[in-house]
Amino acid sequence: MELSTFSIGHEGREVFWNAEHFEPILFMLTFVVMAIFAYGVYRRWLMWTAIGKPENRTDDRNERIKALLKNGLLQIKTWSDPYPGIMHGLIFFGFVVLFFGAAFDATEFHVAEPLGVPFLVGKFYLFFSFLMDLFGLAVLGGVLMALDRRYLTKPDRLGYKGVPDNRPDDAIVLLIIAGIIVTGFIIEALRISVTWQQTPWEVWSFVGWTLAKAFTGVSPEAAKMMHKWVWWIHTAFALGFIAYIPYSRLMHIITTPANYFMATRKPVGQLEPIKDFENAESFGVGTIEEFTWKQIFDSDACTRCGRCQDGCPAYLTGKPLSPKKLVQDMKEYWLEKAPGAVASRKEQLMGSGEGSENINPKLKALFAWLDKADKIVDENLPKGPEPTEKAMVGEVIGLDELWACTNCMYCMENCSAAIEHVPKIIGMRQFKVLMEADFAPELQLTYRNMENNSNPWGIGAHLRGDWAKELGVKTLSEDPNVEYLFYVGCAGSFDDRGKKISVALAKILQTAGVSFGILGTEESCCGDSAMRGGNEYLYQTMAQANIEVMNGYGVKKVICSCPHGYNALKKDYPHFGGNYEVYHHTEIIAELIEKGKIKIKVPVDDVRFTYHDSCFLGRYNQLYDQPRRIIKAIPGARLVEMERNHEKSFCCGAGGARMWMEEHGDRINDARAKQAIDIGAKTIAVGCPFCLTMMSDGLKFHGKEEEIVALDLAEIVWKGMGLEEEKAPVEVCEV
Amino acid sequence: MNIVACVKQVPDTEAQIKVKGDGSGIEEGGIKWVMNPYDEYGVEEALKLKEKLGGEVTIVSMGPARTMETIRTALAMGADKGIQIDDPALYTADAYATAEALAAAIKGAPYDIIFCGQRAIDDDSAQVGSILAELLGIPQVTFATKLEIDGTAVKATRPIEGAAMVIATSLPCVITATKGLNEPRYASLPGIMKAKKKPVDIKKAADLGVTGASKSKVAKFTPPPARPPGKILCADDTPEGKAAELAKLLREEAKVI
Repeated sequence: MELSTFSIGHEGREVFWNAEHFEPILFMLTFVVMAIFAYGVYRRWLMWTAIGKPENRTDDRNERIKALLKNGLLQIKTWSDPYPGIMHGLIFFGFVVLFFGAAFDATEFHVAEPLGVPFLVGKFYLFFSFLMDLFGLAVLGGVLMALDRRYLTKPDRLGYKGVPDNRPDDAIVLLIIAGIIVTGFIIEALRISVTWQQTPWEVWSFVGWTLAKAFTGVSPEAAKMMHKWVWWIHTAFALGFIAYIPYSRLMHIITTPANYFMATRKPVGQLEPIKDFENAESFGVGTIEEFTWKQIFDSDACTRCGRCQDGCPAYLTGKPLSPKKLVQDMKEYWLEKAPGAVASRKEQLMGSGEGSENINPKLKALFAWLDKADKIVDENLPKGPEPTEKAMVGEVIGLDELWACTNCMYCMENCSAAIEHVPKIIGMRQFKVLMEADFAPELQLTYRNMENNSNPWGIGAHLRGDWAKELGVKTLSEDPNVEYLFYVGCAGSFDDRGKKISVALAKILQTAGVSFGILGTEESCCGDSAMRGGNEYLYQTMAQANIEVMNGYGVKKVICSCPHGYNALKKDYPHFGGNYEVYHHTEIIAELIEKGKIKIKVPVDDVRFTYHDSCFLGRYNQLYDQPRRIIKAIPGARLVEMERNHEKSFCCGAGGARMWMEEHGDRINDARAKQAIDIGAKTIAVGCPFCLTMMSDGLKFHGKEEEIVALDLAEIVWKGMGLEEEKAPVEVCEV
Repeated sequence: MNIVACVKQVPDTEAQIKVKGDGSGIEEGGIKWVMNPYDEYGVEEALKLKEKLGGEVTIVSMGPARTMETIRTALAMGADKGIQIDDPALYTADAYATAEALAAAIKGAPYDIIFCGQRAIDDDSAQVGSILAELLGIPQVTFATKLEIDGTAVKATRPIEGAAMVIATSLPCVITATKGLNEPRYASLPGIMKAKKKPVDIKKAADLGVTGASKSKVAKFTPPPARPPGKILCADDTPEGKAAELAKLLREEAKVI
């Protein structure tokens, strides 16, 4: 619409002002750019689908769409970290709004105006103008924050071991974005500098209005000339942005939301069991081809943001493992390997390869045509890196990286791209253990102990039920008619410290009148350490032994005092026909307290408690609240949180079979104990016997074992119930 | 190269051993049976030799049906075939009768080197390997911690009090293995699966032409006496006083200093 049609009360602007005749060229360029974009996505799609085993990640669509909207559109996960969350949010939401703005402009010009129903007028126009400028500024703010973070603040997580990982692509992307916005504002300012007298309402375009003052004194003709030039620069940036997407880190605009859509729908940490040991030819992941396509796709969704690395206990204590590096190393290797695999993928798509029967002939023709284009492109572009003959496990991913993982789930829980690191690590461990039998000698000993005595310590299996001998706890073989099975686990049965937890819990349950029994010597190791240490075969042997016994007694409800057994029984045993309602003792105790079945009477004198979240309770099972409710029920107790708590809690170092392995260099448990010491805790409450060992050892390392005590919640509660007279230290030399 | 490794199935070191009421043996119920740890060193060395020089590893074991599990363990580690000698007449065999049966089984096929553990951890007799070598009329090196083979020349290291002894001999021979010779491998899963299909020959005493006549007999098994309770030093509460009391007790009561 002509400028003269607008007035106060009927505000608006001439869309494509001073650029009316550029329209056909813009159309053509847009078409070319879209073609470049689509071609890039197509080439990447070939690579995504060329390597990897099949895996269905499109079932359960509704939930997947929800995840996509929640984290793709609303960016929920990115907010969990304020600075980068705001930074990314400003750019992302700014772009979303500006994108709609551009779409509104185009609709106004091509549809609404010709039909005689313009809508970018009046108050809406003013609001629209204001919004565009506001979000333009937001994007600019986000870019400045990003530049500051990447090039000035330089947090370690954007690099690896203190060395920044800044690539030209990172800078190019930020500059393009800044370029779009800055030139956009300049165009606006130039337009306003020419028309401001007729359009006083343009003050609503507050950035352009302010900037227009800079052009005071420039003649309208000169301003219009400059406007034309900057308009083209702006267009070049904007179209360049779109064309650049599939060839740069901007690809995450597609891959990251896609990864949310395809994220696992399984319970946290549930592992797909290996089936059919008898007939499978290989186990675990020894080559990149043995990952599923989704596991490979993960690495293309990674934005190198480093959230994973920021809380990785292995990384933070100086181990070579960084979840980010692992994913990026995989990506690099995939980029080397994929072109070769794409050739056979194309054969399939074009019609001769295996699996080509289901492809529509027309599509086949299209792929053949595209293949010709690919050849021309490939001949004229510089070649990618030559594929190297590297071992996936041992070279691409170092063994010291592979075995440093505690399976703490920090990386997966905090990843803002829904990448699944832990199953990849376990897959590669399976290869080392099951196929090559090449792994740490101390872990071999652990597995032999589990094989021979069904516990990692290798203590005689016949001693498993001995801790309960004097408590009057019955085994299910003596009385199967109980409500709960107390699955004690190895630590609670064999470890002297762990046995105290079992005793305390048994006494609590007896006092509260809970009907329960144990399996005694019929119980086997839960197998968690074997499973997470890559020995799936041993794990399944243990799991099946337990399930056979439990199902034999018709067990329905289970209480576990060790989160490792709790998690395995709850999530992984159903794979083998073991379906139980599984509770951790902190859930049971919290409920007993709330129902008044037990009472913590003995007050503590203003003691500072802290609670160390066990990974297998917290991140794996979202049991954050119950343990804290128990502490709050202790009269006089003060709960102080360590800096890293809940979802961002710091592992004790014992998960993922690390409990049984030598740890070199700084120890994770020492680091965690230090965090508790630093906040002045006097009691470190835990809900896991492994954590208990690790925290106790950490306190000893810092020489604090006299001042600070680590206790399981069951022990704390039983003591607090005040039903047992505190035994005085045994006086051995009484006269 | 034809390599033989003799293995024995023994109760796990952590197993709870109960002597039968009549002292004729031990209660076998509930015991976890494993490969004698010293025999594992022998199997491992056999496998390493095979990997280096080629050939075949045969596992020979004597014992009841359950012994098959131990033979399969060795096959899972990488051995090629097995011979199980299972005859009730041999269940109470002494070291001599055992060695005789093993020798008869081994003689049936060509062999270049035979590995045994230096002793079994259940009866601790440490005789079978030596008797086997004598019966076969070949040299032996016991307690080997290092083994080198060059053609038919054999060099084995054997620890002696505070030093090591290097013994040279030639193939064929018997080597009894001890800790330090190697680190036995953990069986791979494909190894475990393949082991199920590897051939194991089951032989009776009659097949081997042995009678199982022992030269010695276990008269009676008795459990070790219960450990007497400890003693707490109470006469004096100072460290010096306690040390003096301890020295006195060690000298006068325990008579060790």
